[in-house]
Formats: sequence, structure tokens, C-alpha cells
Amino acid sequence: MTSLALAEPDGRPSAPPELIAAIASSCDRIAPTWPLDQFIAVNPYWGWRSSPIETAAGRLAVLAGTPLTMPRSWFREEWRAGRLSVRHLTSIAIEIGDERLAERALAVLGAAPAAPPPPAQRMALITDLRDQGAGPIRGQTWTDLVVHQISQHCASHFDEWQASWVPDRSAGLLATWRVDPSVTHGFSWTQGSAWATSRLQSLPVAAVDAIATILDDLAVEQAGREAYLTALLASVNGWAAWCAYRRWQARLIAADDDVIVELLAIRLAWEWLLAADLPDEVNERDRTSQWASSWTLVDDIADEIVDEHHVDWLLQTAIERTFQNSIAKGLPLATSTSTAGAPDVQAAFCIDVRSEVYRRALEATSDAVQTRGFAGFFGLPIDYRPTGTALTRPQLPGLLAPALHVTDSVGADDVKARVDQLHDHQRWEEFRHDPSSVFSFVESMGLLHGVALAHDSLRRRRPPAGRVNRGGRRDPGGRPRLGLIQDDPAAAAALGHRILTAIGLRGGFAPLVMLCGHGSTSANNPHAAGLDCGACGGQTGEINARVLAALVNAPAVRQQISELGIDIPDTTWFIAALHDTTTDDVELFDTDLVPPAHRTRVARLASSLALAGQRARTERAARLWSTSLADDTVALRRSVVERASDWSQVRPEWGLAGNAAFVVAPRSRTRHIDLHGRSFLHDYDWRLDADLSVLTLIMTAPMVVTNWINLQYYASTVDNQRYGSGNKVLHNVVGGHIGVFEGNGGDLRIGLAEQSLHDGITLQHPPLRLSVFIEAPPAGIEAIIAEHAVVRDLVANHWLHLLRIEPDTAEVERWSVNGWGAA
Amino acid sequence: MLVAVTPIWLAPVSLAPAAVLIVAMASIGRRTAPVKAWRTARTATLFVVVMSVGLAAARVVAGAEANDVVRVDSLTAVMLVLVSFVGWVVVRFSGTYLDGDPYEARYARRMLATLASVSVVVVANDVVLLIAAWTATSLALHGLLVHFRDRPVAVAVAHKKFLLARCADVCMIGGAVAFWSTFDTLRIDEIGRAAQAPGSFPLGAQIGIVFVAFAAVLKSAQLPFHGWLIQVMEAPTPVSALLHAGVVNLGGFVLLRFAPVVDHAAPTRALLVVVGVSTAVLASLVMTTRVSVKVALAWSTCAQMGFMLGQCGLGLWEMALVHLVAHSLYKAHAFLTAGTTVRRTQTRRLAPSSGSLHLRDVAIGAGAAMMATAAIGLVRQALPGTAELSSTVWVMLGVVALAVAPLIEPVGRRRVTPSTLGALVVPVAYLALHDTASRIVPHGTVAPAGLLIVTAVGFAGLFVVQSSYRLRPESPALRRLRPWIYSGMFLDDAFTRLAFAKSTPPPAHARTGLLPQQHSIAVMPARSSISRFEATSSFHSPRSDAR
Repeated sequence: MTSLALAEPDGRPSAPPELIAAIASSCDRIAPTWPLDQFIAVNPYWGWRSSPIETAAGRLAVLAGTPLTMPRSWFREEWRAGRLSVRHLTSIAIEIGDERLAERALAVLGAAPAAPPPPAQRMALITDLRDQGAGPIRGQTWTDLVVHQISQHCASHFDEWQASWVPDRSAGLLATWRVDPSVTHGFSWTQGSAWATSRLQSLPVAAVDAIATILDDLAVEQAGREAYLTALLASVNGWAAWCAYRRWQARLIAADDDVIVELLAIRLAWEWLLAADLPDEVNERDRTSQWASSWTLVDDIADEIVDEHHVDWLLQTAIERTFQNSIAKGLPLATSTSTAGAPDVQAAFCIDVRSEVYRRALEATSDAVQTRGFAGFFGLPIDYRPTGTALTRPQLPGLLAPALHVTDSVGADDVKARVDQLHDHQRWEEFRHDPSSVFSFVESMGLLHGVALAHDSLRRRRPPAGRVNRGGRRDPGGRPRLGLIQDDPAAAAALGHRILTAIGLRGGFAPLVMLCGHGSTSANNPHAAGLDCGACGGQTGEINARVLAALVNAPAVRQQISELGIDIPDTTWFIAALHDTTTDDVELFDTDLVPPAHRTRVARLASSLALAGQRARTERAARLWSTSLADDTVALRRSVVERASDWSQVRPEWGLAGNAAFVVAPRSRTRHIDLHGRSFLHDYDWRLDADLSVLTLIMTAPMVVTNWINLQYYASTVDNQRYGSGNKVLHNVVGGHIGVFEGNGGDLRIGLAEQSLHDGITLQHPPLRLSVFIEAPPAGIEAIIAEHAVVRDLVANHWLHLLRIEPDTAEVERWSVNGWGAA
Repeated sequence: MLVAVTPIWLAPVSLAPAAVLIVAMASIGRRTAPVKAWRTARTATLFVVVMSVGLAAARVVAGAEANDVVRVDSLTAVMLVLVSFVGWVVVRFSGTYLDGDPYEARYARRMLATLASVSVVVVANDVVLLIAAWTATSLALHGLLVHFRDRPVAVAVAHKKFLLARCADVCMIGGAVAFWSTFDTLRIDEIGRAAQAPGSFPLGAQIGIVFVAFAAVLKSAQLPFHGWLIQVMEAPTPVSALLHAGVVNLGGFVLLRFAPVVDHAAPTRALLVVVGVSTAVLASLVMTTRVSVKVALAWSTCAQMGFMLGQCGLGLWEMALVHLVAHSLYKAHAFLTAGTTVRRTQTRRLAPSSGSLHLRDVAIGAGAAMMATAAIGLVRQALPGTAELSSTVWVMLGVVALAVAPLIEPVGRRRVTPSTLGALVVPVAYLALHDTASRIVPHGTVAPAGLLIVTAVGFAGLFVVQSSYRLRPESPALRRLRPWIYSGMFLDDAFTRLAFAKSTPPPAHARTGLLPQQHSIAVMPARSSISRFEATSSFHSPRSDAR
């Protein structure tokens, strides 16, 4: 690993500090991407959050050629469909003091679909300039070749689970690349492969030094360096994001990882080779000097692009405001309509937009059911290691590092049996894949796959075993166990107290409290974890729900929690559950532990859950099938389960597609309105939060997470080429779990597939920035914005919209840098 | 042995699957709604499965046989059932998988066309019909490979395959001419009988069968003509499944048809064994270095086809058939379930380390496997009423022994596990399948000792390399070798450069997709005029601008 140390140990001149700063800031632009088995949503623009979104869009357009808004034709369609109100458009234009802009926007909307607009222009890399001439092989461009070679090299370097003959990686990404024959021998260099080999040998060993040498050679001026390096990383965005993930993980445990700098050096070295290997013999500096100086113009060009795109951002904001208005109008004035009787059941769900549909359905079954929204990891900073295994999985948001460890409580015999099974399985897998075994394996066992083909083709119902969250097949089960509960009840009580406070459960406990995590069911789906609970690190929420229920049900812990000020009556029982967002079934856990006094109540809850499942399925069916299945609840459930277990299904469910709002308010504010599964819901009662600690937590954690989800969907829609993973039918899993290629190779693909956003006829995720509605007095919100840079960046730079619901009047106000304005 | 009967209806019925598929295809128009197109395709392929099974039953029960323009024998029956089953699975899969694609109906048509062509190939007895059907298969498949014709790589790779397939067609025509001028017939069964006639094997037949074998080599993606097979991941997953399970193996099938001729042609056998074994060894090593699941599967197919062609060269026809069928089913399943890779990786990651491997473990494993397999072979040899095992089978049992050796290795904590039992099950299954398949296609003439030695050395070498990288991946020799293996020895790069210099691939269509495709072009701004991004300066003629 290369260090960014300023002084080299052998006294060679080190890279200048300005260059080190330029490298650091270009690397910071890249947002991480998590591996497929923990596929949580990431805001790919995270590295740009300290700039206003319009400015960032200008820079990204110049450097990477990526748009941040939809084509104008889309705005026209939305306008025609009534989802873009001209009234709002005009009022926004007035707010920003540019009424002529509204006229221009109206002209755009009114114009007939003309010829496609001229393509956007971005800064040319040397690779792009070479592409104006002959390619390396006919039918291939240099850009494709360079990206492919780097991508294959990175894949081989980072792969741990696909290749069985592993390369020697000890020297590092850059050092192994320098001697990779696919650079020197993979195609014909004009000056021969020996030239390329020796040129690479002449590069300094350390990544930073190599970058310094090359930039000097190419004569890129200091003022243009950061822009150039940023553009280079953007050209291998997928692997840069993987490197950024490694850095992110390292920094969570207070370490660091600089492999992204090595990737940058590799991409830059390609430029250097291509600049020097020109067929003609013109002086190198002459050739590149004009190109090199163009990088100092980036800011000016970006500013011009920003000017040209004011109209697009006006249209975008107008659509978002039209949406906000539809929510604001629906908010009821009074918030205490159903507090008449004490609830029979309190059910806490994840804030996920899919919970909204189910919660509405569950509440409709009975007035005695009260639901709450809270992040689905229930505030437990845990990781989880299934019985007898070597794999530890984080069960918390990617922004945090786990502090506690959960295992399964099973007997020693079970553990040994499990370990033996896993070893045996591994051995058979090796037999299936070792080069000298594959032939005999196919001849002796291949015919059995005929049975497998028939079975998978006709399978109607997948066996429940093998959930991503559990230990995989043949898991002996057992209960998840958090040692803290037995070992240190006082610490467990402190944790429980903190969590209950954050959830807002500080009194008025119902006899039954359901803690409901969520997960999904899909077959043959590399991105399955993306449909699971993002707050649980792309796993199901089962472990977290069961651990928290066990924690607050433990008498010793409960005793100490009451000493801390939250008195849970002895008549209250916590039960863990898991909402399957694909089938809308809810499974209750550890029902064998339920005290006799609560059994009838649990049975009643189970039947309410079944009824709610039916309603939720009916509501979701309209989006999944063109034909109506809603009339027959039995047939509908069968269809949904079939869909979830179908090995050829590319749209098992719609995930979070359509998400556009985040409401932070008591549920009573939204209980009787239909938010169409587009809204995250977090319960919050400002009256119980005098010190603002709960609101601070909400605005710095769940609000950031919802922003990540929202902008992942947004970016995957507006630029699927760069921030989405393309067509699912071409997906090709890399390194067993790192990510996917689209087809044969090319860059690592991040983000969502086309199929997750579009049904072939209509776009299922209209790209709207998140509108956050918080029910609280203005002063507290302002204080938190002032205090937390992350919140300020997101809000002030328009990466999301912040609105406030006035508690007494349900009036909605909009936050802006100039203060609150009426919505 | 069955008494051959030739009912008059048999020949037309054997062509009925193709007819049904063609009718289904014709009933799907450009504007047919996808739901309707898929219903038609599913019904047709299911009907074809039923017909094929019926035909196979007629063959097994009544010994029905036909030798005319078409040929109905046990090989035909096996292939028809295989192809129709794979076709049915792949069509069912595609109907859901491609949902929302703008060109679903076109895709369904092309898939039915491919299946119809393949089902003619497997019944053809006339060389002209065979060539026509094989070419039609290639052309129909081409349409599927460029389903995404906006992807430049898809178009370029399909072009590469197109060029190779046409070379293979020329070879087949060359073979047909040679056979016609030598034996005065184009019926494969008659050519086979004539070649087996006592007396010297005519030169024309030698030339003809070399042509056919070369066509098989080209169509089976053998080194160095393998690149297209590796790179066609640019088509939807079920297309890969169909290609790997039902099309790429037709080279092996055609050789099975010409088995009596190959048996007498020493140069052809040498060609098949050398190309096949070296491809099997190299491609399986490349497979172990690849980083993406589909590409690893494609290298595996390349290796498996090499193994099958090698068996053809050795006269081990019964195992070539077993290999063809078993590999098809295995590979179709492997491609269609490629999406489970993440979950399978997760299961593998659960396993705690079982301790490090030592040379002693490998030696014990290999020794024990050799002894166990030899014992099983001897028991089989001693069974009453069975044919003696040929020297070729004994060599291949050696390959089986090396294959199961890792199952016996006493590594660290994992001593005897249920998988160890596999070391006994695999050779038993191998011999059982061998004996069963021998009833469908008989064992060929004994292979020359030289070819057996090539085979033995090849697979022993493969075992040595495999053991070396498992034992000491950091050794300098392996470290130097690996990058070259990873890049497939640049064989495809060299071949592509050569091929595309002669024939440039067509340009890809404009980008399409469900989501907006907002293009950008790369330009270099001039310092004087930032007001417009002007692409004034071409990098290749800098002097005019710079001065």
C-alpha cells in the first residue's frame, strides 16, 4: 500500500503538497460502493455535497459528461400528465428573482419534441484524443481498451472468491499492473512491447511519485491538476467506487486505505503511454501543451454550463414542488384522532417506504393497532456471525461501525456438525470447479442437472431455507444471542433506554409491542441484498428485531431500564417480527417464549397481520401486473409467492422505486392519508425532545440514509450508464460478490439496474429529490442545521428539500438559506 | 439387440419438431404482443418435447429406425430429447426474464428459429441438409447474439463468430465434395459403411474427414478460435444457456455421426486429440484465473468441448456422447442460475479455514484415488457379461482418479467427510454411464498409443499445475505464468487483430434503452474561446493549430 507520506525515506524529492491536496480532493469526489451481499444504497454524488447541486452538475458535466437532470422531453411529459404545475414553476422563478427564466421554461414545455438536443461536451482525456485516430483493434476504441484492461486488472486484484488460482497481490495494485503483460503485450504498441515495458519500469514506484512525474511530463499546470485527476477517476468510476469502499471501511476503524491513489496512477499512466506512443515523431510537449493548458479552463466552462441549465433545474424544482404540495395539502389539521383508547398493539416498523403501504393496511384492520416508524436496525450497533461460521456481517447502516457482536445460541454438537457440513460443502465445491476435476464431474454428475433444470423451471415455491440473512443452507437455527444481555445488564439497559427513547416509546406501552424488521425474497438475483433492509447493512432486519426484543424482555435489563426512567409494565411483552416486502407476509419470531397471558393477543395479532398482508398485496399488485389479480386474494398471494421464487424474475418487487419524501412527525399526522408507498416515515414528537437530541439523531442519521437511497435511485435513473448497472439480463457477477459487469467486461457497474426503475412501458421511479417534512418548531431545526456541516451541506446545497410542518396548524413552510417561506 | 423396423411415418415425424417450431415462429409477427408471442413459443416447445420423447420411446420400444435424407437412430433420439428439453427450459426462462425488452417478439422468433435449425441438424443424414441446417443454426443464433445491437462489443464478437462459422461452412462443403467424389454418396450412413469396407482407406475420405473435423474444431471454439465464445456474454443469459447447451456442442455431434470414418483416419484422430487435449488443459487453467462468473463458465465450455473432441479422436464415442449430453444440462443450469453466485459465495465464505494443504496430503489423495479407481475398474472388468474395458478407458479412468483425488486429501480438520464418498461414487457412475452409452454408440477402434500418451501427459500435467498453485501460489514460476494464463496467452487478441484486419465489424446501432441515454462527446477547448467548447484541434494534426 502506498503511503501519502510527505517525505520519502530515501530522501528523494517528495511530491509537492499542492499535488497531494489535488489527489486527495479528486479521490474524495468518489462515493463508495458496497459489495453485492451488503448492497446498501449510496448517494453517488456524496463527494460533491459541499457544492450546490447546480454547480456540481456543471463540474460533473465538464469532467465526466454525466447529466444530473432528465432530458427536457421528460419534463414535457410530466407537465402534460399534470405532475408539473406551471403555478409552482412561476412562483419559484419569482423566488429566485428571474422571471424570464420561467418564460424560457414554459417555452421548453410548449415546444414540440424537436430533433434530439446536441450531445453534451466534456473535457477530452488523451485517451479520447487518441480515439479520433485509429483504434487499437478495428471495432474497438482506446477508451474501451483502457477501461477494460484496468477493470480486468482490478477485478483480479480484488477478487477473493471467483478465481481459485489467485495472483500474487502482495506488491499492490500499481506494482502488479506495471508488470502486467496485458498492458505491454495485449495489443501492438507502435514502438513495440519492449518500449512499453521499459517505459513502465521507469516510473517511480510510489503512486504519488508516479502521478507527479507523469503530470510534469504531460505539462498539466497546477491549476488544472485536480480537475484532470477527477476526470480520470470518473472514467473508471466503478472501480474507483470499490476502492473508495475499501477506504471507507478502513476509516470506520480509524485506519486508512490508499489503493484508490494507485488506481488513479494506473489510469494516468495509460494516458502517459498513449501520449508517448504516437505514430508521428512530433515533439511530445508541443503535442500536449495545448491540451494540457485546457484543464485550467474547467471552472469557466463549468460556469457556462451552469448558466445554460438553470431552466432544467427550474423545471426539476417545479416538479418537486408540485409533489410537495400534494402532500402538504393532504395533511390533516388535527393530529389526535385515535388516541381515545389505549392501543392493544404497538408495532414499530422500519422507516422504509415499503413499510408505509403495510402500516396503512395494518392500521386499517383495527383502531387498536398503533404503528411507529424507526430505522430498521433499531439502533443496535451490532454485527452477526451465524453458528460455526467464519463470516461476520454488519447489521447496521454503512455510516457506522459495529460495536457489539451477536452469535447464535446453539449447542456445541450443533456447531461441530455445522462446521463439518461447511467443510464438506466446500470440498465438493472445489471438486466441481478444479480444472482437473471439472471433466469427470460433468461426465459423472452432469446428467443430474437435467433434474435441476426441470425442478427450477417448474418450482412454484422456494423452500424458506437459505435466507440471505441466515447462515445459508442447513443452518441449524437457534436464537440470535447478544452476550451483553447476560453479561452486563446495566450496559444492556443503558442501550435499551437509549433506543426506546429514540423510538419514542417512553411510556404508554401497549400490552404487546411488535418490533418489525424487513427483508425480501427473490431467487437467482445478484442484487437481492439491495431489496433487504439498508439500515441493517443490506441484510434482513430479523436479527436486530429479535435481539432488541430479547433485550427489553429480559427481566434484569427491564428492571434497570425502569431505574433509568422508562417504566415498562410487567404486562407488556415485546415480540420480534419480519415483514417480507416481496410477499407482504409477516413472520413472528420466538413465539414459544411468549408468556401464556399474551398468547391470545399474539394470535389475534397474527390474524390482523394476515389480513393486512392481503390488503398490502392488493395495493402493490397494480404496479406488478398489468392484469388485475386483486379480486382473488388466494390467487394473488400465490402469484406473489411464485414471483418471489421465480428464477427468471427480474422484478420480484419494486423496492424503493418512487421514493420522494421523508416525513418526520407523529404517525397521527399521516395516519389517515395515502402516501402511495413513496414516503419514508419516522415518528417524532417534538414535545418529548426538549434537548433536541432525538431530532439531531434523526437529521444526522436517518435523513442522511434516506438521502443516500433517494439519490441512488435518482442517479441510476438520470444516468444509468454511469451510476446505474444497466440491463439485468447482461449482469455478470464479479469476484463472487464485488459487483457486476454488464456483459463481457467494461467497468465495474454500481447502482441499480434498468429493470429496477422501469417496467418496459413506464418509468417507475420519477427522479425527484427527497422532500423532508419535519414537524417541529423552527428554532430546533435551525440549530441543528447550523451545528452539523453534513446537514447544512445537504440542505443548503439543494441535495434535498427541507420543509417544516407547524405542529398546531399543519401549515407547511419551506427552509431556504434566507429563512422559512410559505409553501 | 433391437430388430430395426422402418415405419414409413418415421422420417416425416422426425422432422415434425422443426416444422412445429417454424410454424410457431411464423405465427409471431413483428407486432405480436410479447405475452402472446411467449405463449406461442412455450406451447410449441412443450409440444416438441412431447414429440421428441414419443419418438425416443418408439425407438426404444419398437426399435424404429430410418436411414434416408433423415436418420432416426438412438443418437437422434437422445439429441432430439436433449435439444427440445433445453429449448423448452430456455424459452420458459426467457419469457419472464426479457419482460419489458422492446424487442421481445423478435427475440422469441429468433430463438424458435435457432431451435428449429438445431432439430434439423440432429436428424440430418444427408450432408447437404446437415450443412444447410447447421448454417441456418448459426445465422439464427447470430440474430440472438446481436439482440443488443447498440452494444459495440456484441456486434464485434458476433462478427468474429460469423467469420469463423463461414470458414466452418466452407470446410463442411469441402468435406462434402471430397466424400461425394470418393464414395459417390452424400448419405452419412452410406459414407460410414463405405469407409468401414475392408481394404485401404481412400485419400478422398482422409481429406473429407479432416475437413469435417476442422469444421467441428472451428464451431466448438477450440484454441485459438475460442474468443467469440468467451465474449458473447453481451447477449441475454438464456441465449448463453442455449448456445452453450444446444449449439456449440453440435461439432461433437457431427463427429459422432461420422464416427466410423474418423475411426479409420489417423491424421484426423491426431488433430482432434492434440487440439482437444491442449484446449482442455489450457482453457481449464484459464478458467481458474477468471474473475467473473459467466466468463469462467465460458472458458469451462471451451475446455469441455476440447475434452469431448479429444474423446472423439480417441474413439471413445460413448463417453463423447455422455459428455455432450451431461455438459449441456450442466451448463444450461449453470448459466441460468448465474445470478445465485452471490448467495453461493456467501455460503462458501461461511466455512472456517480447514488448515493448510501439504504436498503429503496431495500425494496421499492422488495415490488413494488411483488405487480406489483401479479397484473399481477391476471389479467392473470381472463382472460377468460385460465387455472388456479398452486401454483408452483405462487411461480415462486415470483422469477420473486425478479428478477425485482432492476429495480424499486428508487436509487439516476435514478428514473423511460425506464428499469423500464421492471419490467412490464418481468412478462407479462413470463406468455405469460408459456401459449404458455403449449401447447407443459403440466404442471405436483402439486409439494409437501415441494419442493415449498425449492425453495422459496432458492431464497429468494439468494435475501438477493445479496442485502447484494450490500448494505454493507464490512460487516465482507460477507468478510469472499466471498473467499469461489470465489473458489466455493473447491468442484471441492476435486472432482478432488478424481477422478484423481482413473484415471490419459493422458499426453498432445508436444507443437504446429504457432509461434516458444522454450522450456526451469529448472535446478539447481552445484557450481563446471558452464561450463555446470548440473541437478545433485534432490531436493528430497539432501543428496547424498550435503555431
